[in-house]
Amino acid sequence: MSFKLKYQAVPKKPNPMVQINPLKKGTEKIVNLQDRVDKLNNSSAWKKTVKAWKATGKKFDLDRIPKFGNFKLGRTGIAEDIQRALDEKHCANKIGNPALFDPALLQPIQCILTSKGEMLSVNSQHTASTIAGLIDAGLVNGHTDWKEFEYPFWYLETDDLAFARRAFGIHNGKGSKPQSEYQKLRNAIFVVRLDKDTSDPKEVALEKKVATAEKYKCFPVEEKSNLANYPGTFTNISTFETLNVDEISVSCAWHNKYFHYETVHVSLFFIFREICRQFKSAKIKITPKLEEELAALVQSLFGNLAQFQESVKEAHRRWTEKRYGYQANWDDDAYSCALVQLYQKFGGTEKVALTLLDQFDGLIDFFDEDILNLA
Amino acid sequence: MYYFYIIVSVGGRIGFGICQDYFKRNHDYVSHSGDIVDFVYLFGGIRNHSKSLEKTVKQDWADKVWRIDDWETEWLEKTVTLEEFYQYISQILKERPFLKLKLIAQNYNCTQGQLD
Repeated sequence: MSFKLKYQAVPKKPNPMVQINPLKKGTEKIVNLQDRVDKLNNSSAWKKTVKAWKATGKKFDLDRIPKFGNFKLGRTGIAEDIQRALDEKHCANKIGNPALFDPALLQPIQCILTSKGEMLSVNSQHTASTIAGLIDAGLVNGHTDWKEFEYPFWYLETDDLAFARRAFGIHNGKGSKPQSEYQKLRNAIFVVRLDKDTSDPKEVALEKKVATAEKYKCFPVEEKSNLANYPGTFTNISTFETLNVDEISVSCAWHNKYFHYETVHVSLFFIFREICRQFKSAKIKITPKLEEELAALVQSLFGNLAQFQESVKEAHRRWTEKRYGYQANWDDDAYSCALVQLYQKFGGTEKVALTLLDQFDGLIDFFDEDILNLA
Repeated sequence: MYYFYIIVSVGGRIGFGICQDYFKRNHDYVSHSGDIVDFVYLFGGIRNHSKSLEKTVKQDWADKVWRIDDWETEWLEKTVTLEEFYQYISQILKERPFLKLKLIAQNYNCTQGQLD
């Protein structure tokens, strides 16, 4: 029995991302705040907000802007009903870590100043504690008493503890916009590429991974950005980062050779991470023939990996219901196992890792009949 | 068999979609729009290929989707012409012959019942 499906080449077109790729060299563009104001004024969400302000008659109360000043650290009070418990390891390993500590990165202590003259911290207790601890340990030149050390405070005069409680929630995640995985990646890449700073091995390793993907015209981009519709782009950064350079090389080369006209579907990384690892332990080579036949299978039966993902998830749902009587949680290993098992069903003869055939026994019988009938 | 269709609304807007039962789907459109609406082009083939084509179209035409504030409808902006959109679909099917979808009807609506 020979493999029944043939890969059909799709005409290659120049990929605009090769020129656009924002990680290539940065934009070096600095815009003024007017640019951002214009963007807000053009946003329907912002227009609705302005309308809501006007409808309620609310105005920006300038007296509520916190004040700024230097105060002695000894004045800092920590209301334990508002703040969380001190995380000593966070002070020791993150803020105070000698390899990471840089006073230039310290932030002011945020607090409320009550009518009794108490300064109650609503944020930065870990910063304040670390600074005090460093002085206490004799590590700050010219200062021996941390209580007398003057430090910048950002404070609001109020006795309203409800405000302090809400402020703590907002400053510690509830109201802040977290950095996306792409923004974190971009920072690391730019430190290496633009700033030529290679002092952090993690950033250097990440840059190498991205460079490997780019070599095969695969590009990480921000989720939901306009770029995410271009061929070769991907948004699932956290999964990408779990692959080593060799696995990225195999995945992206395969995508660029056979599916250069598609965006990179995240299942690509799950599939080849698992295939690379299982084949490596079984000491089996991933041959060009196998790569092409897997591409032929995806193309002929599903059209693309996005549809493969939808089909395999549906088959997995049916399979778990039949086997266990309930819908079990999805398992990412099912991608590679289903692909390799379908490969054999359609007459594939290249050697594959047996571990991929053992798992999810019978899963492929739960794919749609119209594709199984093609075997 | 699964279907991919191109529809033109009563107001002349282009839309597209996939379905398992073209009669029922067209019947639903007629019911909601209060008028006969045609599936100007109706393609048939295996389910995965219809779905795969729909995913590709959604991606390629993302910047031409008709939006009402943040709501992404399943219709295209009025600037998109039927000819332009059909040409795009034809080109995709020509460049990707592995998508086994055949044009099975033109100007279909539910008054025609099931096709032979």
